[in-house]
Amino acid sequence: MQRISLEQRDDWKTQAESLGFDFHTIDDAPYWDESACYRFSLSQIENDIEDPSEEIENLCFEVVQRAINSEEILTKLAIPADFWDYIRASWLNQEKNLYGRLDFSYDGQGPAKLLEYNADTPTSLYESSAFQWLWLEQAMELDLIPKGCDQYNSIHERLVEAFQTLQRNKDIDGKLHLASCQNSPEDEGTVRYLEECATQAGLETSFLFMEEIGIDANGHFTDLDDMGIRTLFKLYPWEWIMTDDFGKSVPQSGVTFIEPAWKSILSNKGLLPLLWEMFEGHPNLLPAYFSTDPRATQLEGDYVKKPLFSREGSNIEMVRQGEQPLKIAGPYGEEGHIIQALHPLPVFDGNHTVIGSWLVASKPCGMGIREDNSPITKDSSRFLPHVIY
Amino acid sequence: MKRSKSLKLALMGASVLALSACEEPQDVAVFENVDQCSQQDGFDRTSCEENMQLAKDEHIRVSPKYTSVEDCEADFGSTQCEIAPVQTSSGGSVFMPLMMGYMMGNMLSGGSRVATQPLYRSADDPKNFRTGDNQKVAGKTGVSKVPANVAKAPTTKTSTIRRGGFGASAPKMTSSRRSFGG
Repeated sequence: MQRISLEQRDDWKTQAESLGFDFHTIDDAPYWDESACYRFSLSQIENDIEDPSEEIENLCFEVVQRAINSEEILTKLAIPADFWDYIRASWLNQEKNLYGRLDFSYDGQGPAKLLEYNADTPTSLYESSAFQWLWLEQAMELDLIPKGCDQYNSIHERLVEAFQTLQRNKDIDGKLHLASCQNSPEDEGTVRYLEECATQAGLETSFLFMEEIGIDANGHFTDLDDMGIRTLFKLYPWEWIMTDDFGKSVPQSGVTFIEPAWKSILSNKGLLPLLWEMFEGHPNLLPAYFSTDPRATQLEGDYVKKPLFSREGSNIEMVRQGEQPLKIAGPYGEEGHIIQALHPLPVFDGNHTVIGSWLVASKPCGMGIREDNSPITKDSSRFLPHVIY
Repeated sequence: MKRSKSLKLALMGASVLALSACEEPQDVAVFENVDQCSQQDGFDRTSCEENMQLAKDEHIRVSPKYTSVEDCEADFGSTQCEIAPVQTSSGGSVFMPLMMGYMMGNMLSGGSRVATQPLYRSADDPKNFRTGDNQKVAGKTGVSKVPANVAKAPTTKTSTIRRGGFGASAPKMTSSRRSFGG
């Protein structure tokens, strides 16, 4: 694993904009950054990222299987009791999941360590799946990188296949509605991209904002044409659905949700202590405890404290002996915290680097790399492409 | 190779394809009752009965629903409505049009892509059979060709009583935040 400085394509911004990828730059700071790329060997990808991702996904299923039958665990995860039966049913009925991203700290050697699982509402999908792929093709054509390079990235192909399978098996029956929150062009962009994948798979789709969803007299959700919603892809966290006004209508609504409700167990930072408790010593896991657990004191010294529902690095606190704690501001934390052993991100040319390992329909199929000047990556962290050669 | 073999240039913005328009029209069969169905060439009575039952079950789900019989009759004609076996959340009656027939796949050409469903006749266009989401199917019984989207299971037309119940839990977006995801 190396960081290689590169020449940029002259017209990449024009291309990004013509494809609708218009958050490539944020407040004049680059988000998409092709002034460098990361280079991996095939065995680093296959042995250190791909295989562990598949294995962790299976460990996660064991956690879900255990959590749905344990009121103690569901309480620790701060999941409202009104939703326990619904979550359990979503798992037992094998409601299908579409995608997720495991975040790893990995420096090219030794096992990748799982930092967290964005299992419910992962973003940076389009950059990983499509724009990174396009960069590879064009960078080879322009001789910016050697011909014959590869990339760990069949995300797009797998997404289209996954939608085809969902349709064939009637997991998506009729029209697929897709929704994100208003005022987030990035989230909307991610959902519009997934809509494009669904369309390429032959599905009929309709986009609307979460705020626009309606309800009828029978407690069924409706779109802006007053048509009932049967399947809803929502880029909107389950923990917010559960506290929203319409949340209580969800279990009886008859709507199939993607991601399904059981993903709320995996997107919760409480997943990390549960994994450690069940598979302590696994090479890809870091020691982690709920902050209320007396064993959390074992991690005194160097640790990271994370709210159960934190997203995009918000409210994460990093503590190192002899240093001021590093805190990211944000709205989360009232729901409780976990403590995870500190495994600092590797530093390449002064950049802190995190690996996002993508799964589609639970199969690992690609990777996206984010860099930050700070040891905690956030929603503003730069996205850099990668190559295998 | 670890990457996608090809990638149709995927847009992030609004979808440009109206895909249903490109799909092949589908063969569907329309009947008013089981007898009519079983007399059609290539259709056996058992399948006719099974599909009739499927359509009857769907009828409750997909038929247009009204909270007054007058509103229902305005759309479907006098005495063409019945009480639905559901209630509003406040316990009021719900009305729906009578099922006038059903649609199923053509058994001669393998009708697997056709969703069996109930059919209705509206007051303003009584000679045509229509689906629960008001798509025209055919003016006659027997086998007809319809656009692919008509052959799909209908979504239900209903009345929205309230919107805006999702979204309140999202933290207020500040200039430094771009995404609620992760």
